[in-house]
Order: sequence, then C-alpha cells, then structure tokens
Amino acid sequence: MNSKWANYQAEGFYDELITDKGSPRMAARAAVNLFQQLSADDMSARREAAELAIREMGISFTVYTEGGNIDRAWPFDIIPRVISSKQWQSVSRGLIQRSKALNCFIDDIYNKQRILADGILPADIVLESTNYKPQCKGMSPRYGVWAHICGSDLVRDLDGKFYVLEDNLRVPSGVSYMVENREITKRVLPELFENYSILPVDDYPSQLYRTLASLSPRARERKRPCIVVLTPGIYNSAYFEHAFLAHGMGAELVEGPDLMVGDDDCVYMRTVDGPMRVDVIYRRIDEDFMDPEAFREDSVLGVAGLMRAWKAGKVAIANAPGSGVADDKVVYAYVPEMIRYYLGEKPLVDSVPTYLCMNEKDREYVLANLDKLVVKPANESGGYGIMVGPHASAATRRKFAGLIEKNPRNYIAQPTLSLSTAPTYCDGEIEPRHLDLRPFILQGKDSWVTPGGLTRVALVKGSLVVNSSQGGGSKDTWIVEGKS
Amino acid sequence: MTMLSRVADRLYWKSRYLERAEDTARLVSSYHMLIMDIPRGADLGWEVLLRILDAEPQFYSRYRVASEQNIVKFLVADTDNPGSVAYAVRAARENVRTTRDVLPEETWEQVNELHLFVREAAEKSIGRRNRLAFLNEVISHSQMISGLLQTTLSRDHAYRFTLLGHLIERCDMTTRVVDVGVMELMERDARFAVFDPLIWSSLLQSLSALGAYRRVVGPLLEGGSVAEFVLKDREHPRSVVYCLRGMRDAVKGLARNEDALRQIERMRRKLSRLHVEQISPDEFHGFIDNFQLLINELHEIVSDTWFRPET
Repeated sequence: MNSKWANYQAEGFYDELITDKGSPRMAARAAVNLFQQLSADDMSARREAAELAIREMGISFTVYTEGGNIDRAWPFDIIPRVISSKQWQSVSRGLIQRSKALNCFIDDIYNKQRILADGILPADIVLESTNYKPQCKGMSPRYGVWAHICGSDLVRDLDGKFYVLEDNLRVPSGVSYMVENREITKRVLPELFENYSILPVDDYPSQLYRTLASLSPRARERKRPCIVVLTPGIYNSAYFEHAFLAHGMGAELVEGPDLMVGDDDCVYMRTVDGPMRVDVIYRRIDEDFMDPEAFREDSVLGVAGLMRAWKAGKVAIANAPGSGVADDKVVYAYVPEMIRYYLGEKPLVDSVPTYLCMNEKDREYVLANLDKLVVKPANESGGYGIMVGPHASAATRRKFAGLIEKNPRNYIAQPTLSLSTAPTYCDGEIEPRHLDLRPFILQGKDSWVTPGGLTRVALVKGSLVVNSSQGGGSKDTWIVEGKS
Repeated sequence: MTMLSRVADRLYWKSRYLERAEDTARLVSSYHMLIMDIPRGADLGWEVLLRILDAEPQFYSRYRVASEQNIVKFLVADTDNPGSVAYAVRAARENVRTTRDVLPEETWEQVNELHLFVREAAEKSIGRRNRLAFLNEVISHSQMISGLLQTTLSRDHAYRFTLLGHLIERCDMTTRVVDVGVMELMERDARFAVFDPLIWSSLLQSLSALGAYRRVVGPLLEGGSVAEFVLKDREHPRSVVYCLRGMRDAVKGLARNEDALRQIERMRRKLSRLHVEQISPDEFHGFIDNFQLLINELHEIVSDTWFRPET
C-alpha cells in the first residue's frame, strides 16, 4: 500500500471517502483500494496525463487580468468523489421538491401573491427586493415554471448530511465541467471503471435540449424548435460552457446583436439566409442586461424588445426574467415554509438554519454571537461581502455589527459549517481538502437532476474557498450503484 | 443549415487575415532575396513595399526613416499596423476563437500555434539573419491551415465564406503587386533595365507564380506578359481571373446573391477587355486603380448582403 494513504487523516471533519477509523467508506472502497496500489510515480504520471487531456480537450475558463483575458487550463484533481446512489436518490428527490416549490413561489409572486396574503412571508421583503422585477407581473410561463435550470450549492456538515447552501436560479454555471471531468477520468484512470457501475453524466446537453424544447411556443407546428444560447460573448468567464452547451444541443450560440425583435413581436436571428425565427432562448446573460427597453438602458449585450416578445408569448426564455426573486438569502430562509405551503410536503433536504437580522430576536442573537456565525448580505452572489465570524478580526466584526444595525433587512447569518473533506492529490501528497457540490436541476414539462454534479474543491490547505478564480479546483463526482 | 451573419463575417475576416499574413510574408521574403542580387542604386528601395501596400502615410506617421530595419519591422512585427504579419495573425486567431464550432477541430490549434510562434519570434526576426526562416515558417504554416480547410471543411456556408475571404484578399494583393511592378519598372532609367527580369521574377515569386509562368509563357520575363499572366491566366490558382471564378462558385451557393454575382461578372468582363501590351504604363495604372475600387465594392456588397442585413 502506498504510504501516502496510510497517514491520511481528516480530523474534525466528515470525509467523503475515508471513515474516522481510517477505512474507506463502502461506496468508495474499490476506488480507494486501487489508488492505494498506485506508486508515487504512477500517481504523478496519471496527473500529468490528466493535464495533457485538459489541454487537448481545450477545457479552459477565462480569467480577467491586467494583461487582457487569458484562458486558464481547468484545475482538476484525479481522485474522484464517490457517493452511493441510495443516498443520492433521496437528495435528488429533495432537490426536485425544492425546485418545484421555488417555481410555485415565483409564479405566485408575479400573480396572485397568495403566500404574502396568507402572511407566510412578509410582503415587503419580497416586493422591495432588487430581484423582484415588476416588469414580470401577470406573466405565467408554460407549466408555471420560471427557473428551468437551477444550480443549487450543497455542502455536507460534520454529521454527513447534505444541506442546501443556496439555490442559484439566475444563470448558474459549471455543468460543462461536470461533463468534462468524467471524460478526463475515463481517459486517465480507465481501470477504475472496471469494478463500478457509475451513473453517466454526459447526456446533460440532451436533457437540457429536451427541457428547452418543451417550452417552445410553436411546439405543435415545428418538430425541431429553433433554440439559441445567448452569451455575453467571448470575454465572459463561462464562454467555454456557453459554446459547449450550444454545440451539445446543436443550437446556435448567439450574442445580443445577432437577435432582433420584429414588429410582429417575434424574435429573429440574423443569418446569411435572412431573418430566422427563434423559439427558445437559453439566456446566459443577467436579466438586467437582457433588454435595454425593459431593464438597463445602457446595456449593449441585450436585445431591445425581448421582454415584449416574451410577454407576448412569442418566445420562451430560460430562466425566465424575474426568477431571481427566489434567489434572495432572506427568501432562502423561508424555503422550508414554501414546501409545506405549496406542496403540503415535509422538506426532504435540509436548508442551513438562517437568522434574519430584520427580526429583532434573531438580530440580538446574531450581534451577540458574531464570532460564531457567518454573516452574508442578502442580495449578493459569488461570495462578496461575507464575514466568516471565527476567522474575522474584532474590527471586522465591529464593522459588520454596524452594517447590520444600519440595514438589518440586508443581512442574514448562519452557523459556521464544517465543510466535508475528501482525499486530494496535492504536491505529491494525499491530503484532505474541503469541497462542495453543485447539482443541476432541470424543470420543464418534466423534472430531472444530474446524477451528482460539479464538485468544487478548495486546493489551498484549510481553505473553504472553492471558486476556480481563487485557487479552487474540481473533482469528478460519482454516483455508484449497488454494492461493489 | 443556415449560419449566423456574425459567424459568416468572422469566417470571412479570418480568411482575409490569414491570406494577408501569408501574402505579406511572401512579399517581404521575395524582396529580401532580390535585394541581395542587385547592386545598390539599381534596386527599387525597401519603400517599394510600402507603395505596394499603400502604407506610406501610416508608416511615416510612426517612423522617421524608411530604413530596411524600420520597414521590415513595420510589415512583420508591428502589432499596430493592420497590414503586418503579426497583426493579421492575431486578428485571424481572434476570429477563429469565436467560430471554432463551425471549423474542423484542428483549425483552432493550428491558428493558435501560428499566433504563438509569431508572437514569440517576430520581433527577433527583423534582422537579416533570422528573417527568412521566420517568413518561411509563417508561409508554410499558413499553407498548412489553408490545406487543412481545403481538405476537411464541409462544402457548406463556412466553406463559402472562407473561400470568399481568401480570394478577395488575394485579388487585392495580386493587383497591387503588378501595379507597382509596372509603374516602377517602366518609368525608370533605362540603364537599369538589365536587372528588370530579376525584379519581375521576384514579383512573380511573391505571388507564388514563377514556376507556372515559366511553364506556360516561357523562361523570359518581360513586364507586359507577367502582368497579363498574373491577371488573366485561366489555370493558375492565384491569378485574378481564377480568383473571380472561385468567388462566383462560392457566391452561387448563397441566398440573395444577385448583386454579388453581377459585380463579379462586371469585374470579369472588364478584365477580359484588358490587353496589357497595347496600353501605356499610365493607362495600366488607371486600370488597376479602377479594378481595386471594384474589389472594394465587392467587399461592401458581400458585407451588406450577408454580414449586416436588415436591421
């Protein structure tokens, strides 16, 4: 056995592959055994092979730097994360339940607002949120679904249970890397697949196509709807993914200026054969930039009249504009209530307990326990403006106390979680690193969840930051069936 | 299967820039070889390259002296000059970056490799010592990319716009080269005439047409027949007549092609009425000037019809 593994210890955290007693978890046993038999040289050879595959496959993400935009190779760890399908099934059911409730909520908010009338949620926190778009009032997209693609972030705490950390309902990204990670593992560690039956992930583009096609306003007249992926362009950090998904669906990858809205309120793309009508837009630009007529006038990325076309029912947009209203961190705290209210069910997957600073009792608790809590602004995404209490200086804590008292609506707090770890190959050693998981939930005529998702791993020792732009990497994520 | 106007536009420019990089490299390389054969005073001076490319104003706005060093730098390594090899390669790469999906997979890799090579080596290749090796590498890499597209690109819209870009740029370059050749050589002091065949051979070489000329016309190089050959030979793939035929074939596969076809036909007819041996150098120059305007008009028609149609 490779000695690197003998010394492996993830003290004080739940480890994805290795138990407290140092033995591999059931689902991961065969994989860990194989890695333990690989010599140090063999490990580094596999790693090099993975790097070569990444270059050959052209998997990159764009980072903006002073010297212009550069494409960085995708950082990837060769040791996969293994989850048993039995455990995954219940998480997956919980995610679908959650996404259904969130969609009921969005549809309700832009229509009857029953949930506000019934006093489940205070009206002002919803209607005064910047994510609430009055332009969307009265709309009811097909199947009542607004957020067709949802990329929830899951973490595991000490108890080994999955918690939803946030629901990304606007333009979640990362799914292309989930697909490519599997492709890399197949290339560099083919023998791993001999003893496993692993759920495939590469049909995501077809599932996405199916979901989008089910939204087409001309589904009856046209067998193959015209679907486009709307990107802000090559300088967007997720451009690789936009191209990947367009390619995988056989759809056109368009930028704002490629589209126009006609006098008939239909959306057309400009082609060499003349204007061609578009049925479904998979929108990968922020709604604020989507239509200068309806939102930000200074947007050059968008298409004038797009909202008009959408409201006239001439084109489907995924995710629908206005979906972000459910993406607020204060609203997040009420998701378990929504599930009970709209579906009459008990939540199948947990949320992280959340203290709302706008409630007096919660606020008192938060201010008294700033050193134990994580404080987050309600409207930001991407980890901006967060204070991690146990790691923050007294001055920072004082600053946040002031911010909270000044604008309590804008802050929430959650207990500091002990993110789970998994063995990761770093500088020739096998060491525990923290990780999260982003599955993707599709919702159209039917619902579907990716088997697993994108595991992001903080490659820096002790770090909890998994973002690829800040030293994060990723792992292939396996959902394995039966005993192995 | 249709194609986005923006994608067509980028494919077209990708080809124009690739062709420009190759043609400029050829031009500099053949002049570089020529200059070593001709005594000082009998040569045309490096400025002739600026005249061919109509780049004098641009050059003098940034360089004081028209030295060999400065001119080669301007044409090869200057990334602010849209006519330089380095600029053209970078622009070609940017255009391929956003059209990768409709091109054969290796295209991006090859174009990117060429870009990395040029970025790395251009500046070091201005001096005579490394110059030729650098230019040859640019030429052969460009030819490899053209060959790759020629043998693997489906004959769809992507191919049509790729072809159009190459051919329009090539026509432009060919007419420039003969124009300057005729003007410079026919007007200068007769005592240098002994070197004229050398210069004509160099110009032919810059158009990759020397061998073909010798086989078709004969081994003796003479101004009028050289111009006649590069403009009107029906078989040589770099002649203007040949390019026009290629453009017509490309355009035929596109919708709403009436204006473009009419323009190509106009150019073809104009060319067929030209008899270089029967006109003066001045008249020839006038003809080329006119013809260049027609090339520009064709470019405008292509852009208006397919790249920025109805708003």
